[in-house]
Amino acid sequence: MSYVRQVYAIIWKDLLLELRTRERIAAMGAFAVLAGVLFNYATDQTIVRPQDVAAGLIWMTLVFGGLLGIGRTFHLEAQDGAFQGVLTSPAPKDAIFLGKTLANFVLLFVVSLLVVAVFMLFFRLELGSNPGMLVLTLALGALGFVALGTLFSAVSSGTHMGETLLPILVFPLLVPMVIYGVSATSRLFADRPVAEVAGNLRMLGAFAVLGVAAGAVLFRYVVEE
Amino acid sequence: MSIHKLRRWGIVLGSLGVLGVLVLHALVFFWVPTEASQGIIQRIFYIHVPAAIVAFLAFGVVAIAGALYLWLGDEQLDQAALCAAEGGMVFTTVVLLTGPLWGKIAWGTYWTWEPRLTLTLLLWFIYLGYFLVRASTENPERGKRFSAVVGIVGALDIPLIHVSVLWFRSLHPGPVVFKTSGPSLAAPMSVTLGVGFLSMLLVFLGVFAFRYALETAKRAAEMRARANA
Amino acid sequence: MEAVTASAPVTQGVEPVLSARGLVREYGAVVAVDGIDLDLAPGDFLTIFGPNGAGKTSLLSLLGGRLKPTRGEVVIGGQRLDFGETSWRSRIGVLSHQGFLYAHLTVEENLRFFGRLFDLPDLDRRIPERLEQVGLADRASFLSRQLSHGMRQRLALARALLHDPEVVLLDEPYTGLDPYAASVLRNVLSSLHDGRRTVVMVTHNLTQGLELSNRVAIQVRGAFAWEGPRERIDAADFERFYHHVVEDGRE
Repeated sequence: MSYVRQVYAIIWKDLLLELRTRERIAAMGAFAVLAGVLFNYATDQTIVRPQDVAAGLIWMTLVFGGLLGIGRTFHLEAQDGAFQGVLTSPAPKDAIFLGKTLANFVLLFVVSLLVVAVFMLFFRLELGSNPGMLVLTLALGALGFVALGTLFSAVSSGTHMGETLLPILVFPLLVPMVIYGVSATSRLFADRPVAEVAGNLRMLGAFAVLGVAAGAVLFRYVVEE
Repeated sequence: MSIHKLRRWGIVLGSLGVLGVLVLHALVFFWVPTEASQGIIQRIFYIHVPAAIVAFLAFGVVAIAGALYLWLGDEQLDQAALCAAEGGMVFTTVVLLTGPLWGKIAWGTYWTWEPRLTLTLLLWFIYLGYFLVRASTENPERGKRFSAVVGIVGALDIPLIHVSVLWFRSLHPGPVVFKTSGPSLAAPMSVTLGVGFLSMLLVFLGVFAFRYALETAKRAAEMRARANA
Repeated sequence: MEAVTASAPVTQGVEPVLSARGLVREYGAVVAVDGIDLDLAPGDFLTIFGPNGAGKTSLLSLLGGRLKPTRGEVVIGGQRLDFGETSWRSRIGVLSHQGFLYAHLTVEENLRFFGRLFDLPDLDRRIPERLEQVGLADRASFLSRQLSHGMRQRLALARALLHDPEVVLLDEPYTGLDPYAASVLRNVLSSLHDGRRTVVMVTHNLTQGLELSNRVAIQVRGAFAWEGPRERIDAADFERFYHHVVEDGRE
């Protein structure tokens, strides 16, 4: 029970801080909309229809915009040494990791819904008959992404390269998420049968499990000095 | 094992390996028959494939030694991981140089999204992250822990990356890649490939042992400098 | 007053609450803490003095389980500091010159957050009690960034003591405090002097450091250059003695 309470404490605190400061959600949200605008001008519509590449653009926006916010996971923690207080508490390090990952997940999931809504509006996409599956795709992809993002955000904020190091560490690892996420998303937008995305969702699930498990085990080696 | 003994092993193994690589080149250029479907360029495969195998083996060492280092905290394990990573990066670079050369002739383009080549490119960047993390931490002990985490997560993710790039390829058929193994390989080809793998492995082990001895000496010198400070 | 290094526990025969054995901490080639042994009984108040870079903060971090020792061990109440298991962390309270507070949480929320992390029961009763103790009862709903530095430090004190720790570690707690905040801090610290708790304080300030302590150590280059009971120190002459020990320790 105390484990759940500790995880909850971290989630509550992170989301409350985000509600108060709105730093990361504002940055990610603005990034998403502006990226949509730029992508509109980045496609010559006499050659490609934006609908054909929309799924890819959605996921690239999520990756770049997401990293913008996830990379600052430990920024507020560093002020006034607050994270020292968290680390000297009896909360197990994996509980801290899970709490921060789930809080980041809520943020990124909200942003991903916003990205999809904006791109549907900008590029006149049809939702298809399976919005539930689309939400599940976004959720599984976001979970794996924030798990690795949170772990490596802790790593990069402990180096003097800081956030600039994060993409180099995380991008190579994100290839499975991008491949299966984009494929599932474009199939759902094309209204293909659910059976065609089941395999992709399983792989996204495997990626999320890998990220969360690896992060929960390894986080203590990143933050314990 | 003492530094001197290790250094000697490094020199012996490395020399044998270099000798092997020379023999390999003799075999590749003068002995092994030309593969029928691909022609002369296929010969680069005897360097490309063994280098790739060694590069991935090295990364296995990086991940396992890194995990053991985090668990046991023994400096020597980190040292082993570091030396394997350096060797691995060299072989990964060899793969990335020979792959496009082959691709240019065989497929008419320097770069194709051939799954194994793609995986190797990503591996190269994971190695890059491994060294950047080490270089950008003031406290070396922290750099060791961070890089171990990079190595472990990378190794866990590589199977998933591999499956995903293979699957991606199956959606976008490109030029046919010939099988790198199987009964279709003629005997001289298998022998050449075997010589290639063995000699590259020896080069890796030699460089590893020599580098390990050097790193031991370096860390000992740092300890001495500290004691005198 | 001679420079003695022998360290006999002040309170003989009482089981020590906080012990360190051969404590060493290295950062790569730098040795921050170099072989410290320590035995503190309940009621002991140890002040550690020392020049910048002597490793005082590192020592405190080791005692508080924030840093892992390179060699040696720390024992709190018979429990060896083990990083796989975390229950011993509830027995330690840490107050540093940093507040460990979230600027965008209210006073009450800061305490509630840490209370949950420490898995404390009845926070609804405990939090107002602690705020009363540090004179912040009327500020509960203020964001901590709206507080003055002194108030923030009092909140940090309430946070550090929220879980009623047996061992209290203080790192330069007086830094930047106004006289009122300093006197609140002094009052709370002397109320900690109830014979039940063990306090270790690190400071540069020779006067404040001697006030409440019953044991004193001077740390130079990672190790204790002098350690002994407070009675052996002549407060009037302490500054000269301190410089003498530091000079000696550097050679």
